[in-house]
Parts: sequence; structure tokens; C-alpha cells
Amino acid sequence: MTQQTLTEKILLSKATEPILPGSEYYRVPVDLVLGHDATIALLVERFKKIGRKVWNPERCFFAADHFAPPSTPERADILNCYLGFVTEQSVPQDLLYRGISHQLMVEDQRCQPGMIICGADSHTVMAGALGCFATGMGSTDILALLLTGEVILSIPESIRIDLTGKLPSWLFGKDLALEIIRLIGEGGALDQALEYHDLTESGLPMESRFTISNMSVEAGATNGVFVPDQVLKRYLHERDGRAAKIASRIDGFDSVWLYPDEGANYTRRLSINVEEVPPLVALPGGLSQIVAVSEIEPVGVQQVFVGSCAGGRVEDLAITARLLKNRRVAPGVKLVITPASQRVYYECLQNGIFQVLAGAGALITNSSCGACGGIDKGLIGSGEVCVSTSNRNFRGRMGSPDGLIYLASPLTAAAAAVTGRLTDPRPLMEEAGIRDFHSTPWPKQASSLGGQR
Amino acid sequence: MMIKGTSLVMGDNVNTDVLHPSRFFSLESNKVRAGFLQAASGYEQIGNSDLSGKIILAGDNFGCGSSRETGARAFLLAGIRAVVARSMARIFSRNVRNLGLPAVECPALSDSPPDGSELEIDLGRWRLIIPATNQVLPLTRLDPFWEAVIKAGGLMPFLGFKDG
Repeated sequence: MTQQTLTEKILLSKATEPILPGSEYYRVPVDLVLGHDATIALLVERFKKIGRKVWNPERCFFAADHFAPPSTPERADILNCYLGFVTEQSVPQDLLYRGISHQLMVEDQRCQPGMIICGADSHTVMAGALGCFATGMGSTDILALLLTGEVILSIPESIRIDLTGKLPSWLFGKDLALEIIRLIGEGGALDQALEYHDLTESGLPMESRFTISNMSVEAGATNGVFVPDQVLKRYLHERDGRAAKIASRIDGFDSVWLYPDEGANYTRRLSINVEEVPPLVALPGGLSQIVAVSEIEPVGVQQVFVGSCAGGRVEDLAITARLLKNRRVAPGVKLVITPASQRVYYECLQNGIFQVLAGAGALITNSSCGACGGIDKGLIGSGEVCVSTSNRNFRGRMGSPDGLIYLASPLTAAAAAVTGRLTDPRPLMEEAGIRDFHSTPWPKQASSLGGQR
Repeated sequence: MMIKGTSLVMGDNVNTDVLHPSRFFSLESNKVRAGFLQAASGYEQIGNSDLSGKIILAGDNFGCGSSRETGARAFLLAGIRAVVARSMARIFSRNVRNLGLPAVECPALSDSPPDGSELEIDLGRWRLIIPATNQVLPLTRLDPFWEAVIKAGGLMPFLGFKDG
């Protein structure tokens, strides 16, 4: 057998033969299916007409994150349609209202390296940071998956990306995700896998990796997988130790540690020295214009959004709080903070991050998708400029088609909240005396999150 | 299989948020239909007009972004007959084909003909015929799986399930 990429190795360990003679598509059994209130609701009527049961409810990883809680009567009806389905099909309900499905996935013991994960949402790719094959799909694919336990997939070729150097204090996963998209192009990885090799000095924090895997789809990639390493091992050890309480329930959710072969074939190889990447920003309207923040004229900002599955983790809220400590949000700016999960929410409540943010004048919402998908709690109006830590800046994405969304790292976003302008955040970070952020994002407190699932 | 229609020309990197903004996300067909092209600059009026028999002719990375299938459904509800693009985002092309709508890539597509030009898509010989400009362009042959899905009228009928 020829040498395999990590994606080939994961998929070909389970896929057997093509679905039709001459086809490059295989029936692939799925370990976990991610779903949420919006996109699962779209298939409920069709599912009911077929009149069958979900193939394996325990393999359904279903959250309520889009309309959570609902902001219109119609969305309440959509949510209730979804909740009815969850109950009827005996799908576990422990994830409802716990945060954004993708964040819950990486926090949860059910998600293990080597798995094949398909989800009814494009950002399902985020679980690739745990060494999984994870990809997003539409409701019809998920309808078939819920009935059969399988999806029909081709095996993508891979682009290999090596990350080297020592991560500067002011550089975040978001900057690296933007740099990767800048180099590959929006849609430059269509139908391909991105395979990340983290060769940096101490390894990127998992939170940064989540953002990089998350935004793989913005380059058009089918999936974005990190090669498992010690950083992942440590993360899982800490995570699964904590969640031991539910261990008895989840037999069969085992990890398989797979690695790409030496000499595997890549369509392209890129190497990025993280020390050479400046804070970046994606200009409004898509991911095709990505530039260094220092290269643009300072832009006046009316909203800063720190949230979403790409930028609502403890790391993101911690840097925002550290920059805002003993400061106020600039006049004329609203800072909307939407934690990615209830675990993130709880941790920020416990460790004092919320105290600093609220004291500085930030608006803290419950964990959900919120403003990112133009749903609620921070939509922008015509002519309004928003700096966002989320993953998409498409026209109209966060509200009015005439609003402007700049995507940036949490540090750059926080600096905009402090100054009211989109500028290079490094001088402000220096002024705040923040030097070694990545090793200690926030002083640890003697609090335990045990039992807070 | 021959498909005939008239062109509706769109550009590169046309994403799902402009094709179908999230404020039109709904379980109601009328609302889903009403959202078609409603954040695509300059296309809002066109989106509201009668589009039956139209074939979308687009550039690279068409349909990038979200997996929300309301976007794909809006194409069907609007009466779009097929999508031809230089290249297409993976989730989007799956979504439309899964609903039975032919979506094919034409890497050689460069200068699109004016809106409303007659088009013929030949899915037997894998070519796009544009009589107005005397062009015959090769289409990327679909995998036998997708050919079978489109022939069956979508993924569910292909798999032997009754749908709708």
C-alpha cells in the first residue's frame, strides 16, 4: 500500500469500496454526527415522512446554539420543532443550551482522535484539531446519515502546512488562520484537506489550533486536521480526567492515534514561520483581501464582537480583559462578548475575567452563536463598522448588507475596543505590560470546574 | 441528458450569505424563496423576479460559506434549472445535487455571455454550448455517483428513500 496522508489514513481505515463501479466516492461509517437547532430543524418533516428511527441516537451530538434562546416567535417554533425531534428520537439532551456545538465537540469526551465526524454545519471542521476527520454538510446529507449511519465521500488529497518558529505573545490562531488563507486563497483548497504539522517551539495552544482548523473551510477545504502530538495528549488528559464522571456512559468512544506516513503525497507544501506573521485583518466582504493591520489607514469602529466558534474561548476573552484592565471601552463603541460555551462562561465568571470586562463597559451575552451568523445580540446597522473575532465577514453576515465587518485576532479586536479605531495592537499590548501571554493567559485561581458539565 | 435555459451571470467567491441571507432562514417555503439573492449587491431585484428556466453561470468558488440548505432550496424554489461555475464550494455543490439540481464545473469558462443568453448543457458529452458566442466549452465530467444522484432526482431517491 502506498504512503498515506492523515486524512487518507483515517478515511481509508473505515471506507471499503466505491459506491458505484468507476466512482471515487465511498460509503463511510460515521462516529459522531453534529447537529444543532437550525440545520436539523430543516430535515425534521422529511425525516418524519420516511417514518424510521435514527440509526444510533448515542452517536448524535446535538446542541441548541443558534436560536438559544430564540429572539423571534418564528425562531421559537423552529427551536421547538428541533427539540421535539430530539425527544422523539431519544437523542441525548445534555448539550442543549450549553454553547456552540463546535466548541462543545472539542470540550467533550465523546470526541476522540481518529474519529470520523460529520456535522450539519460548515464549521464542523474544527474538530480536526483533535486529529479527527471532521467535515460539514447540508441537511440532506445529514438526513441520509441519521437514517443509515453513513455518508458518501470522496477521499480528498491534502495540502501540508508546517508551522515553525516561536509564537510571539501578540500572535493568535486567528492571525495564523488568516495567513494560511492569504497564502492559499479563498477557495484555494477546494475539495482538499489541510494537514497541519505544528513544529513550533512549544507547540501552539489548543485554542489557537481550534481557530485554525475552524477556518480551514474558509479556504474551501473539506477538513483541516492537526497531526496529533504531546500538546493534544496533555489537553485530552486534562479534559477527560475532568469529565470522568460520565465515563461509564460512553463506552465505544475510543481514540485511535493515527499519523501521516513519511513520504505521503501532498498536492502542495507550505511552511510558515510564525515569528514572521504580523497581526492580520480580513477586509470586509470576504476572505480574499487579507492584509497586515499596520498597513491600513486606521478605521473608526462602532462595534467589537468577541465571540463565535472561532474567537469566543477563554484565551480570546482573557486577552480582551487584560487589555481593558483599568480602562474603559472607547466612547461610541459597543463591545459585545459572547462566550463560545457555558464552560467558557463559567470559567470567566470564576477567574475574574467577566469582572474586568463588565467593569470596562462590555456587554456580556449568554453562550451561543449570537451575532456571528446575523442571528441576534449584536447585529450591525447600515454603515456600521464591526471588528470581529468570528470566521466570516461576508456582506450582510452580521446584519445590514451595508455594515462592514473586519475579521481580526482577539488582541486586535480588544485594541479596537480600547481606542475606537482599528490599528496595530502591539504598542497597546506593550503599554499594558503583557509579555508572555501564551504561557499564562490569565493568572490561575484555586477553582475547580469539576462537575460543571 | 440535455438541459436548456437562459443565463444568469454571477462572479467569483459568491458566498451563501449573499445568496441567501440568514434573516430568511425559515421552514416556510415562501420565506425561503423570498430570500434568494437578497444580499447579493445588484441582484436583489433579479432575485425577486421570475427565474424559472435560468441557468446560473458563475466564476470560482461559487457557494462558499455556510452549509444551511435553505440556500440550496431557494435555487429550486426560484426555478433555477442548473448551475455552471468555474469551480464550486464542496458543501454547496453537494447540497444542490442532493436536491436533484444539476451543478457542474466548467474550468474553461472565462468571459460569460450577456445575461439572458441561450445555453445548452450536454450531460452526455460533457459540454456547455453558448450559441450567442459560438462557444462549446468542456465540462468537468461528474463522478458516476453524482450522475446517478442527479438522474434519480436527488440523494434520498438514489438511496431508495421516499422524499417529500
